[in-house]
Amino acid sequence: MSHTLGTAALGRGRRGAPQVGDAADTASPTPRPRKRRGRVRLRLEIALLTGPAIIVFVGLVIFPVALAAYYGFYKWQGYGPPTDWVGLGNYKIIFTDPAFQQALEHNGLIVVLSLVIQGPLAIGLALLLNQKVRGRALIRVLIFVPYVISEVIVGTGFSLMLQVTGAVNDALHNIGLGFLATDWLANPNIALWTLMAIITWKYIGFAVILMLAGLQSIPDELSEAARIDGASYWQVQRHITLPLLGPTIRIWAFLSIIGSLQLFDLVYIIWGQYISGTAGTSTMATYMALNGRLAGNYGYGSAVAVVMFLISLIVALCYQRFVLRRDLRGAVTQGVN
Amino acid sequence: MMKKTRAAAIAALGLGVALAASACAGGASSGNSGGGSSSGGNVTLTFWTNATPGPGLTFFQNAIKSFDAAHPGVTIKMQNIQNEDYDGKLQTALASNSAPDIFFQRGGGKMLAMVNANQVAPLTLTAADQANVSAAALAGETLNGKIYAIPMDQQPEGIYYSKDLFKQAGITSTPTTIPELEADVAKLKAINVAPIAVGAKDAWPAAHWYYNFALRECSQATMNAAATSLKFTDPCWTKAGNDLAAFLKVNPFQAGFLTTAAQVGAGSSAGLVANHKAGMELMGAWDPGTIATLTPNQKPLPDLGWFPFPAVPGGQGDPSAMMGGIDGYSVSPNAPKEAFEFLEFLLTTPEQKAYATAFITLPVNKAAQSVVTDSVSVSALQALNKASYTMQFLDTQYGQNVGNALNAGVVNLMAGKGTPAGIVSAATEAAAKG
Repeated sequence: MSHTLGTAALGRGRRGAPQVGDAADTASPTPRPRKRRGRVRLRLEIALLTGPAIIVFVGLVIFPVALAAYYGFYKWQGYGPPTDWVGLGNYKIIFTDPAFQQALEHNGLIVVLSLVIQGPLAIGLALLLNQKVRGRALIRVLIFVPYVISEVIVGTGFSLMLQVTGAVNDALHNIGLGFLATDWLANPNIALWTLMAIITWKYIGFAVILMLAGLQSIPDELSEAARIDGASYWQVQRHITLPLLGPTIRIWAFLSIIGSLQLFDLVYIIWGQYISGTAGTSTMATYMALNGRLAGNYGYGSAVAVVMFLISLIVALCYQRFVLRRDLRGAVTQGVN
Repeated sequence: MMKKTRAAAIAALGLGVALAASACAGGASSGNSGGGSSSGGNVTLTFWTNATPGPGLTFFQNAIKSFDAAHPGVTIKMQNIQNEDYDGKLQTALASNSAPDIFFQRGGGKMLAMVNANQVAPLTLTAADQANVSAAALAGETLNGKIYAIPMDQQPEGIYYSKDLFKQAGITSTPTTIPELEADVAKLKAINVAPIAVGAKDAWPAAHWYYNFALRECSQATMNAAATSLKFTDPCWTKAGNDLAAFLKVNPFQAGFLTTAAQVGAGSSAGLVANHKAGMELMGAWDPGTIATLTPNQKPLPDLGWFPFPAVPGGQGDPSAMMGGIDGYSVSPNAPKEAFEFLEFLLTTPEQKAYATAFITLPVNKAAQSVVTDSVSVSALQALNKASYTMQFLDTQYGQNVGNALNAGVVNLMAGKGTPAGIVSAATEAAAKG
């Protein structure tokens, strides 16, 4: 079913395109006598090359996830082995806790707003920076700078500047816009938008760099041909550049969604350990830190971690299945009809 | 050639497995050194503290030196761990059976969890020990009639204020009731300083206002009963919230208090007091030390004063009762008996005097209280000695889980997002999570 859905959605699925799976199945035939030894050798090689990565992956990813799932079924303070089995009790509390629902809502808003604000902005900036402008290299570097700065420094800097008596409000007063001055961080009606502004400032550089790289890989011939055919600049962008930029945009959107779902550090630095819920900027991750580690409820915290993991996993799988599919199959996306 | 590759592959895999195995085994092998109640012979004790480098750490180094000298064959190995990292490290050590023999104990709900998991030893104090420690402090380390930690100092809470700013504002005597405090708030506003600084970003400093209102509204029996039942059904809990809500109406706190930290930097609540930007701050006995590091010349604030939390008319709590913290040390169940002997040693008068001087705090040994000489600490100490009872900070008393929820509820109320009843219901809901 999903297969037909996929091709139906794409409409123009290329049946002829080589697929990764096919190549592995139809390995080139080798002479009989050498086959066995070759196989053993191949397996050993695979074991040798993937062994360390598998050990690290299993030990540091799969094992902790399994443990978290196990602890999530207990009420457990972290002292001694867990004994107080509560089944799905923790999960019931999570989904009925208004604080978690709010955190989830904030995460959802951040996902959507990040895509809506950063996407067009990044594409626009990338198009601009793909032109021959004076000081292009410098602007490219400058736009990328915020992304390089550590979250802790960004968070500390903004939390100082955005205080009621901080630099931002002072500057507003000094240029005669004092009426705009407000409590940027603590006012629950504004705080989330402040956070969005900071996130945009921080991560737009990454999006722009990705888009620029995507733009560079689009052959000039296509737009040249279009221009010869009489297409305007905007028509070229709309009908050639944007469609060919599709794979890049989709990958960026994927990274952005996952990053938004797991957002933690900026909120934790700016709003501290406790008050993000009050200010209306809590996320699932800050909820987990507050109700798990800080409260000493390691069982409950593990259950929250599992919920977060599942939400991220489902979103990621759906996105891969329905959006990234054509890119992952290695086919070049088609441009204009 | 192929054989070589295979051998190399096996060797590499084997190495990987060995590395992983040894990494897992690391914790178990460094278990308890003494094992049971050894005496004589050579004993090595591990000792974990959250003291930071400076006078505090020097005190412990000296104490260990003199204890080791008096007890041949005993060696104490100290490890100081940064305060914010401490709980996690201790918890890991306790869980992996590599607990230190003697360790810093926060008390309250955390201690209860350790007791329930048999990770802390009950202590039997001799008559001499009992004489060296105030009964009130010891009561704070007692669960079900057994003592699980030796208290070192007491940190009673009260309001620290700037005498200069009070004089400027025309305040002649410190307030003893909430209406008086509200009048002083108005006077301080008139001279353009923030009346009261509070570091609500850290939540607990804001919540301490609620704790103290609860201390005045609720009887000692009610507060103690809540520690085990974790039920907040008595109307006094909501009444305390109403008191706080009424107090908030006079806007006593500095602008932007919700994103103000408590102790770090000149913009923190302690920094505001240190730089005469705010008149008062409700804080534990460590505050003069914190303020001293934030004054422009990094010296103690000369005009700092102290008064106890004002009385609330009609409350069921004793007006002399005090809220406070206790720093103590616990012993692991498998620790050699010398571990407890070291704690007994720390309670002796000379050690307590040195402790109080090093940490600028109030010792639990009354004979050592003579070293407390600065006027601020003396007034706090006098109030403490007069207090009919002391109550630990509620986020310790009721455990961090319920404590966090109380704190969050109070911050919500202060931010105009919550109600007094919301504080109580948040605490009740949190009890279900832990």
